[in-house]
Amino acid sequence: MTTTDQLIDQLARDVPPVPRNAVGRRLAGGLIGGALASVLLLILWLGIRPDLGTAMHGSAFWMKWSYALALALIAIGATARLARPEGDGLRWLWLAAIPMLLLAGHGIMDMARAPQALWLSMWLGHSWLVCPWRVLVLSVPIFLGLLWSFRRLAPTRLREGGAAAGLASGAFAAMVYCLHCPETAAIFVLTWYSLGMLLAALAGALLGPRLLRW
Amino acid sequence: MKASEEQLRTLMVGGLDGNAADHAELLRTLAPLLRSFFRRRALGSDQDVEDLVQETLIAVHMRRGTYNRDRPFTAWLFAIARYKMIDHFRRVRHLIPIEGLEETLAGESFIDASDARMDVESLLEALPAKQAAAIRATRLEGRSVAETAAAAGLGESDVKVSVHRGLKTLIARVRRKPR
Repeated sequence: MTTTDQLIDQLARDVPPVPRNAVGRRLAGGLIGGALASVLLLILWLGIRPDLGTAMHGSAFWMKWSYALALALIAIGATARLARPEGDGLRWLWLAAIPMLLLAGHGIMDMARAPQALWLSMWLGHSWLVCPWRVLVLSVPIFLGLLWSFRRLAPTRLREGGAAAGLASGAFAAMVYCLHCPETAAIFVLTWYSLGMLLAALAGALLGPRLLRW
Repeated sequence: MKASEEQLRTLMVGGLDGNAADHAELLRTLAPLLRSFFRRRALGSDQDVEDLVQETLIAVHMRRGTYNRDRPFTAWLFAIARYKMIDHFRRVRHLIPIEGLEETLAGESFIDASDARMDVESLLEALPAKQAAAIRATRLEGRSVAETAAAAGLGESDVKVSVHRGLKTLIARVRRKPR
């Protein structure tokens, strides 16, 4: 009994005020740190595409980037919910179907306009073999950043929390990868970018129960 | 002393605003509350219970930023307590006794406000009918294995196996979804 009382006295000695949206701030901190590290990794490893300035005037760049951004926001929303002990599950992730369907519509329209002989090369691009893996590698620093955030958060569904954090890392990593990737077809992005994010989500689901324990 | 949700929430919010006295009073009020929460769930020795109380208090302190001021405080608190308890079971590989399980799942009236309530009946519905019936008869209605077997026209070992398999499935399910 005494030890519990001593513990309480000790804990009550250090009571800094906590801002209202502490969970959001903590996640944003880990995310920004991780994203900066991921950009640095991209620059050192693959380099930024030389024509980035021109590409940013075209629609393909923003199509890829906003697809990844939409998924990133949905995934980080789910992560924030799962970061609270009474948080509900992955129900919100169904929202991810919206950007995917929009991009699929975009891809189908592109294909309808192109001759059938080009379809395969649109789908595979020049980098389908490496794209998902690069997204996965770039997601690692972001996932580490989120793990740092989770040290003060309280997830109780560790597998789901890990999956949501993994998906968020993958989607933000895809946004980083846009700075390098020259592919332009919507159907390429829909397949290979999404596969990279899915790999990151799976890794998160596998690691969650071990890494998010507290 | 039984503190009300409103009192606890006020103390918690005071602590979040940086009031150390409120925070200390909160933790002091929570200790006996948590002690009875864990004790009622048959955790074994008093030392285990006290360890869990301390771990939960530390978690409440370290992770207080995850409390949303607009939501019920007790739902947040008992979600943490339940997580700590399940983590404890996992560590000691202790099987949850079924008498305790029902209560663990149903929560207490205190937390009714939370969405953490799960019904034993709805859990049983997820099992094959034979296992569910065997568990209901032997564990909830308190009949003997022999009676249950005779009523269902089954062998006694068949009933025992059904109960065992059903409980195993339930425990796995509850661990997978700590709530």
